[in-house]
Amino acid sequence: MSFFGFETSRHNATGAGFSQAHDPFAGLSNRDDEGEALEFEDTYDGLGDQLDETDDAFNDDTFGGDSGPGAGPVGKDFDFFGQTSKVADAIDEEHVIFSRQQVSKPQQPPAPEYSRGQPSYQAPYGRINEPSRPARTGYEKYSQEPVGELQVDAALWGVAPKKQPAPSPAPAPAAPTRKVLSLEEVEAQMRAQRKPAQPAAPSPAPVQQPTSQAPAAAHSAHGLPIPEHVQTQPGFYNEQPRYNEPQHPHAQGHPVTILQRPQSKPTPPGQSHAQPPAHQRQPSSGPVQPTQILRNSSRLSGDAAKIGVPSHPTPPMHPQHPVHRQQGSFSHHPHMVLHPTQVAQLSEEEKAIYLEQEAKRAKRNHKIFQMSRDNGIMTPQDKNFVTRIQLQQLVTATGNPNDHGTDESFAEDFYYQVHTQIQGGQRQHPSQPLNNFAQTYLFQTGSRQGGLRRHNRGPENHMQRMEQQVQRAVEAAKNKPKNKQLVIEGSLGKISFSNAKTPKPLLNIKRNESTGDANRPGSSHKHSQAVDGRDKKSELKSIEKIYSLLMKMEDHDRVMPPPPANDSDEEGIQRFVPWRDEAEALNKQLWTALRVHDRPAQNGLHPFIALLSYSKGKKALPRIFRHTSQEQRTTILTLIVVNLDNLDVVRNAQAGNIQLNAAMRENVELFSLSVMSTLFNFMNELELDLVAGVLGLVCTRNVDVIAKSRIGASMLTMILSRAEIIKHAGTSEQSWRSWDMAYTQFFNLLEPSLPYIFPGTVTSGEDVYVWQLLAALGIGASPEQQQRLVLAVKDRVMETVSLAKTLPQDLAAQRLQNVNLFMRSIGLDVELLQ
Amino acid sequence: MAEPGDESHVAEPLDLVRLLIDEVVCVKLRGDRELKGRLHAYDSHCNLVLGDVEELIYVVDDEDADDDQIRTVSRKSDMLFVRGDSVVLISPLAQS
Amino acid sequence: MLFFSFFKTLIDHEVTVELKNDIQIRGVLKSVDQYLNIKLEDIQVVEELKYPHLSAVKNVFIRGSVVRYVHLPSNAVDVQLLEDATRREAANQGNKAK
Repeated sequence: MSFFGFETSRHNATGAGFSQAHDPFAGLSNRDDEGEALEFEDTYDGLGDQLDETDDAFNDDTFGGDSGPGAGPVGKDFDFFGQTSKVADAIDEEHVIFSRQQVSKPQQPPAPEYSRGQPSYQAPYGRINEPSRPARTGYEKYSQEPVGELQVDAALWGVAPKKQPAPSPAPAPAAPTRKVLSLEEVEAQMRAQRKPAQPAAPSPAPVQQPTSQAPAAAHSAHGLPIPEHVQTQPGFYNEQPRYNEPQHPHAQGHPVTILQRPQSKPTPPGQSHAQPPAHQRQPSSGPVQPTQILRNSSRLSGDAAKIGVPSHPTPPMHPQHPVHRQQGSFSHHPHMVLHPTQVAQLSEEEKAIYLEQEAKRAKRNHKIFQMSRDNGIMTPQDKNFVTRIQLQQLVTATGNPNDHGTDESFAEDFYYQVHTQIQGGQRQHPSQPLNNFAQTYLFQTGSRQGGLRRHNRGPENHMQRMEQQVQRAVEAAKNKPKNKQLVIEGSLGKISFSNAKTPKPLLNIKRNESTGDANRPGSSHKHSQAVDGRDKKSELKSIEKIYSLLMKMEDHDRVMPPPPANDSDEEGIQRFVPWRDEAEALNKQLWTALRVHDRPAQNGLHPFIALLSYSKGKKALPRIFRHTSQEQRTTILTLIVVNLDNLDVVRNAQAGNIQLNAAMRENVELFSLSVMSTLFNFMNELELDLVAGVLGLVCTRNVDVIAKSRIGASMLTMILSRAEIIKHAGTSEQSWRSWDMAYTQFFNLLEPSLPYIFPGTVTSGEDVYVWQLLAALGIGASPEQQQRLVLAVKDRVMETVSLAKTLPQDLAAQRLQNVNLFMRSIGLDVELLQ
Repeated sequence: MAEPGDESHVAEPLDLVRLLIDEVVCVKLRGDRELKGRLHAYDSHCNLVLGDVEELIYVVDDEDADDDQIRTVSRKSDMLFVRGDSVVLISPLAQS
Repeated sequence: MLFFSFFKTLIDHEVTVELKNDIQIRGVLKSVDQYLNIKLEDIQVVEELKYPHLSAVKNVFIRGSVVRYVHLPSNAVDVQLLEDATRREAANQGNKAK
């Protein structure tokens, strides 16, 4: 750093000022004696020797030694506020006294006497602080309502007060709940003392509730365990401050009693002081009582309501508006509007009446106070309410046993409900009682509640009520006028609100309604057509439509009303007929959707057959058969037979080709499983003439192709075996003949293909179905036909027999068994060939 | 969605997915993944249940240069639930 | 609610949940909710050496949004029923939209 020729060599870099802050360790690293330990003697500054550790002169003072009050064993039960509480009242009292007495009342018994005297008064009127638990929580000064309107001292701020300060409305229900005796006693006392004295001059100070009232209010409002003890306090406060105030200058600020008001007008001493406290207590307690009572009436079934609400004259007033409250309360007490000046003018009789009313009111308020002690705590009804909601949610979540299978629950929870039904609900034994328990509980308690309060709400309405409340809240929020934009002062722009559902539109494109619409779907329709002329999309659409209809029909079946017992069952008929009509309508729709009667496209597949080429089409067939009539099913069977050689499972699964295609195998398997089994079941009900007709249809097709496929062969086997069964059961001559003809025709067509219908090689063992077909053929064959059969398949038979000799025991047995199916049908056996 | 075959109502894209139930589909996911399997279930979030599914993860072997050597890792599963928020597209796969 | 319903039937089955951070957790499905949050018990991380984070953990609650896949036992799923349920759900969605 030697710009300008600034020489830095002479600078003391370690000096203070060169670094940013004084670095106490700055010089340490440069010391030579880095490795040496510090010597005690070197660094000891001798201060420790000057320490006086023996005398402990002030310990007793600090820790409360033997002479102090805390000499006893120190326990763990600390009553942090207990002792102070007694004194706290006195302190408050002092405040009150002081602030009320602006004019120096050369008053009398000094404050300490009274404050000390207080505890003695407490005894007859209530419980003293219980040592076992803290007397006060320490929060007594903070009532539920705000302490009062605290006004700004104009002088401090140079700002005029905004409005006339109003007396704060801290509820003081405590005062009137004193016992009657105490009130009268104190009044008497007051009268005796007040008579000579003059009331204080009007006070310009803001009239506010004394904080003494506030703790009293807090006591009652919180339902602390010392109600009565507390109640007595305000009374005293009201009385005693008058005697104790003179010493304190007026401007003490907040703790001013409400008694300022009445005292602002010249009042006769005794009565005036007697009345206003009670008076004041009334209106201030009034507004609180009703709300408390209202809360309580829901808790206690009827008693509180009877006692509290009807008889209480004071209408509920909002406790936050002190001015209105005071004034309003005054006006709402018609029988109580006792201006302090008027009090003295009342006759003795009226005074007695007045006192009586006061006493009654005091009693009532005391009762109310007792009942309201538990305010804010959940009532049993509240707890029940919440429990019911929870149970209802549980029931809905786990599946309402009553609700199983209802349409509504199906809409939400279809898979789970049906699945459990299929699996057999027995697996949830332990939890089942629980489910029912919840449901039973809800039902029983609901009916109980419903009986009591039928006009109000029903048993199951808890959820509904909650939901309604939520809905109302949502509506309110929606209806609240909401700005589309938010502008914050000082910001540089607007913030606009948009939504996923109402995104900010960037482009405004008008749709061309004329030709555009018509063209578009049409063109897309064409484009998706595959090369072979099949429109996959429309086929899939058809299948899905079929599924929707099937589901509708199944749902409809579930609500089938009982068929009418006889023709005269009017009601039953009325219920049944519409249902049946609906079922028929659905059936028609299904039939149309199946497109059985549609014309196949040129060189194309029949639409219905095309549907069968999809796996979900195959899966649908059993369900379709359940919802169609006999005639319709016959039609379907016929259609399938007619298209037998067009089926993909037939055409693409020829015996000659080696088709190791897994997909094709699956296809075949699925077809066999769903379609063939359905048709089999159906065919088992058919009569011989129909069966013969079917066989005749087969003859019109490419028998070779059919026979060479597994599906085709199975189909043929089905037809033939069905015929045999019918024949055994006995049938008409005519049917027999028609069958015979068909059979002969078929046999002749099939014969050339017979050697080639075996799939794979001899070793592969997939030829079971072929042997079955041959067996079915053999049973119905005439001797001559049987011979031809044997000739046709002779080679294969021999091959299999010889192979079986090389195979292990069980495999060999199996193969031979297969062959025997055929052999036995014509009266032979493989053993003859061994 | 409207009933399939009901042309008067404008079809939603998810209606096309309905057509693919029980068909083999190809699903493209976020993170260079593809799934091929039979679609058994879906919902409006595009949560899916696929059966017999094969997953293909495209991994770029970036060594030496940006040669774009793309490996694929394949995994199979009998039945798989796929959460919809990863799904990018669903498409039918012609099954021969 | 289709998949919620679906998962309810898989309670007490063993499944493997693959998360978006590639961790696969195998465990018994104990609980599911409408958001498809999942509770598994007795879990085992599939590649434990690679993801040792959960070696001491027996039961987990997985937020639905972090799931990529859930590998299921195919024998626990009734495919036909599931497909039908899907069709129902799709139809209901359509009705709601109207």
